Amino acid sequence: MFTLFSTPNWFNGYDLLFAAVNLVIALLIAGYSWKIYRINKENKFTYFSFAFILIALANIFKLITQGLIYYTPWRAVATRVVGPVVGMAQAGVNYSDLFFRTGFFLSMITMLGAWLLIYFVSQKKSGRLKSYYETSQIGLFIYLIGLISLVSNFKYSVFYLTSTVILGITVLNYYKNYLNTDKNRNAFKVMWSFVLLLIGNIAFIFVFIFESLYAVGEIFTLLGFLLLLYTHHKVTHK
Amino acid sequence: MATRRSRLELIFDILLAIQNKGGTIKPTHLMYKSNLSHKLLNNYLDELVMKELVFIQDIIGKKKQKSTKAIVLTDKGLSFLAEFRRMREFTDAFGL
Repeated sequence: MFTLFSTPNWFNGYDLLFAAVNLVIALLIAGYSWKIYRINKENKFTYFSFAFILIALANIFKLITQGLIYYTPWRAVATRVVGPVVGMAQAGVNYSDLFFRTGFFLSMITMLGAWLLIYFVSQKKSGRLKSYYETSQIGLFIYLIGLISLVSNFKYSVFYLTSTVILGITVLNYYKNYLNTDKNRNAFKVMWSFVLLLIGNIAFIFVFIFESLYAVGEIFTLLGFLLLLYTHHKVTHK
Repeated sequence: MATRRSRLELIFDILLAIQNKGGTIKPTHLMYKSNLSHKLLNNYLDELVMKELVFIQDIIGKKKQKSTKAIVLTDKGLSFLAEFRRMREFTDAFGL
């Protein structure tokens, strides 16, 4: 059986619940950003919406991949479906590694893509590159996140290290935004959401030392998304 | 130097000026409050009337007892103001 890293058995299932909550929150924010784009036609709202759709997709891939690892009935169903398609009697056993690697790869690449897009969008206009350079830089970053996601299948900490760096710079951007908006309370909450997400990612890096840090990481990630939801609610129900 | 207002921001400023005057305002007052030229204001007013965000009403002046026009904010205009405030809050919060 393919192993990316070990997680505490007592936490199995809870991380899927957290991923489901994060998925719903990401879709809510993506939906409202898309609604704003439809009104004012500014591309940054599309990018922001797309970033949160990527987060939602990352959580979907995580739900499917880890759900199949945790729950034997799900694995049995998947084997019955996949077996005839790949044409092998032992499909569930022979292709399990490929399946799980693909699942984790898709989860990582979408999540990294989301963090990168949020980082680009959170920069102030003067920090954003002009269109030609922007396109070439984005092309380079897409290549790099693809490569990092592939490597992360063999060394998971590469993914969390990269996420940590991107989230760290994003936190700085949101801190600048908080100052630029005359210390807007909602901007402060968004900054802290990303701080919580950053702490979660840092915890994931050290799972190889202490397995329970996986639960810590998941809890901080959930708290980050819940704070984003709270901010979204405060803004849209004013 | 002040940045140029977008079309939506201009509409918001016009509607906000009307709201701040209790929901009814004379065209000249609106022109000064929203900081627009006469021609530009008329262009936007035509659009706002068409979209039912405002309507034009004849009122009798207090001093001269003459019929004059006033611009009145509709419920739809009020909803637009509220929605635009929410959008701006979202934009500020998420640094967009």
